[in-house]
Amino acid sequence: MRSLCVVMYSISAFKNFKNTVFPPVTYSGPVSREMSQKSERRGIHVDQSELLCKKGCGYYGNTSWQGLCSKCWREEYQRARQKQIQEDWALAEKLQREEEAAYASSQGAQSHPQPSLAPFSKFEEKKTNEKTRKVTTVKKFFSPSSRTAPKKENHEGKTPSPSISRQASAETDRVSRDFVDFLKNLQKPGRDIHKQCRAFTESMANKRDLSADELSECVQDFYQNMSDRLMTHFKGSTDRVERVMDQVEKYIMTRLYKNVFCPETTDDEKKDLATQNRIRALHWVTIQMLCVPVDEEIPEVSDNVVKAITDIIEMDSRRVPRDKLACITRCSKHIFNAIRITKTEPASADDFLPTLIYIVLKANPPRLQSNIQYITRFCNPSRLMTGEDGYYFTNLCCAVAFIEKLDAQSLNLSPEDFERYMSGQASPHKQEPGPRTPAGPDGSPALSTAHQNLELLNGLGVRQERVLEAARNLESDLISWREAVEREVQEILAKYPLEIRPPPSAIDSDNVENDRLPPPLQPQVFAG
Amino acid sequence: MILYILYVYINIILPISLADSFYCFDLLALLTMSAQRVDAKVVMLGKEYVGKTSLVERFAHNRFFFGPYQNTIGAAFVARQIQMGDKVLTLGIWDTAGSERYEAMSRIYYRGAKGAIVCYDLTDRSSFLRVKFWVEELQKCEEHCKIYLCGTKSDLIETDRTMRQMDYHDVQDYAEEIKAELFETSSKTGKNVDELFQKVAEDIYNSTTFQLMTEEKGVDLGQTNNSYFYSCCHN
Ligand SMILES: Nc1nc2c(ncn2[C@@H]2O[C@H](COP(=O)(O)OP(=O)(O)O)[C@@H](O)[C@H]2O)c(=O)[nH]1
Ligand SMILES: [Mg+2]
Ligand SMILES: [Zn+2]
Repeated sequence: MRSLCVVMYSISAFKNFKNTVFPPVTYSGPVSREMSQKSERRGIHVDQSELLCKKGCGYYGNTSWQGLCSKCWREEYQRARQKQIQEDWALAEKLQREEEAAYASSQGAQSHPQPSLAPFSKFEEKKTNEKTRKVTTVKKFFSPSSRTAPKKENHEGKTPSPSISRQASAETDRVSRDFVDFLKNLQKPGRDIHKQCRAFTESMANKRDLSADELSECVQDFYQNMSDRLMTHFKGSTDRVERVMDQVEKYIMTRLYKNVFCPETTDDEKKDLATQNRIRALHWVTIQMLCVPVDEEIPEVSDNVVKAITDIIEMDSRRVPRDKLACITRCSKHIFNAIRITKTEPASADDFLPTLIYIVLKANPPRLQSNIQYITRFCNPSRLMTGEDGYYFTNLCCAVAFIEKLDAQSLNLSPEDFERYMSGQASPHKQEPGPRTPAGPDGSPALSTAHQNLELLNGLGVRQERVLEAARNLESDLISWREAVEREVQEILAKYPLEIRPPPSAIDSDNVENDRLPPPLQPQVFAG
Repeated sequence: MILYILYVYINIILPISLADSFYCFDLLALLTMSAQRVDAKVVMLGKEYVGKTSLVERFAHNRFFFGPYQNTIGAAFVARQIQMGDKVLTLGIWDTAGSERYEAMSRIYYRGAKGAIVCYDLTDRSSFLRVKFWVEELQKCEEHCKIYLCGTKSDLIETDRTMRQMDYHDVQDYAEEIKAELFETSSKTGKNVDELFQKVAEDIYNSTTFQLMTEEKGVDLGQTNNSYFYSCCHN
């Protein structure tokens, strides 16, 4: 068993290695980033087929959807979603009942509602879930199809696949509970708020075929109505209204997220892919071209740069618009730090925007357009329009717009250079140190770069072959090892057949071999 | 009897529990509030090097305005509170990147702004040409945004009158034509900086939309109109 584990581990390690050899379609983790960037700089291009939907429908796939296109992803997981929606409603019902009960009891015993049993029973449920999951993994391990198991395993960790929809619904549960807890403090108005939010999310479930703008309008209208009412209730205290509104947004959007993020009715997905490809095509853009006032040689600065990149990538994993916004704000603060350390003075807008553009190019955040659209459509508007979060969000929108429209002029390059960099014929990284040679048939730097790239590519191909070979060997070893074990087990079983006998009714009662035993010692009397 | 219980509940118990909940709110606010609430957005526009950032910094550190300086980390966004009568108005000042490479995006910045301070350098005639560009843009896209023209670096022309390249009265005529206010400021000496921002704050405070916002049943349709958002980032 133990050696088996080691074998499985090394297979997945090889798989990871393979991932890093080719530039991943999206950023897949801090470890592989370094590698992928290097290979991108060497100008290796991803095979077009790697980008297509794995179901072979001809549409582009997206790693965020396990390599499927949105349509196949949806079809594939419609059932899982349906189930989750039902679970959501069941939970909402339950919470409503609990909330009602808590309210009723608080009328008697004021302010101290009875602690409900919900958290405990939830815990139990989670435990059993974990158990079943373990069992299935072990099963997978020993079933003949175990060859494909590690692949699946690998995917489960990083994408919002239905296998973690359990986790997602756990999040929904937690948010619902928090919301009810929060509203309990409000007593009667809290109960009304809860009812309305619930009714609203339910009504939204029947509005699947609305356009994204119409969905947005529904949500924005709801925010507006709710905050108007709260405004009356709190007698114009904007702070209090906003605090309740934040909770309302969190509750509603956690529930609606799956249906309104990157909906089929929009071309958000197409734009995501276009932006992603665009950013990949711009891998050669340097700090100097953008006039970014950041010196990554300083460890503290590069530390902040890495943190900024992590924050902006994290945005995609959040469900509440305000939480996504918070990721952008955190990213921006790290950028400010990086600039302040480099320049030893506070950053202005002239420093900030180029640096943000640089960070976006470096991070290539997943589903960037979808996220921006989602925030724009479903965030509480007061936050988006005027405050600090809004400022950073606006800058992100500008950064994306800039990247989309970027041309030779915006980088202070000649159109010829820009073309050559874009087409991958030349790389600014290679040219900077040496003096420029006129483009001849032999001495051309572009040619030598191409040669170098080819050599590298060949080398990588050979290594790739070796890795595959080793993996195949391991696999066959694994199979023969398994067979050997099976054979051994069979032999042992044959040698020592297991016979189950009825338990003896009385000692020695059916001991057939008793008579073969030497007779028990008897006391003997010796004459003497 | 039932009525009496109801009466007691409404008048005694409910207020207490509401007070409780407010206390919870304040604790929550301390824990979750990331940024200060801002009442109105004011955007800085103008060519590179005219002195936008210096003006924001001057405003942010000026003792004339009270309250803590929120954003020590950078001068790109600054939130400042200004006392207006018995109320406090919080302005969010948005600095913008002035480089021409970002000009196409400036429209994204001033969307929803209540005021725009369009800067030009008193010692640089070319910087005024760009002023006209932004004024036209603002008039076209943000009709609710009040425009303030701001001639910067007035300390330079005070020491040497020949440095002045933009005549005050010419610009004043232009300002009247476009219904804008005109200020000539120096971020170096601080001259007229307070006056500029005080005027911006007053105008916002007196605007009907802000009054509605802070009134009891405040609904500010003008400000929270959704239609801004849909086109954001897509033009
Ligand atoms: N003498 C003087 N110099 C100023 C004034 N305001 C800005 N400057 C200078 O003008 C240059 C550009 O200022 P900055 O605020 O960065 O302009 P921005 O590009 O519009 O943000 C800096 O060197 C400032 O020191 C001023 O009122 N008086
Ligand atoms: Mg500046
Ligand atoms: Zn497909």
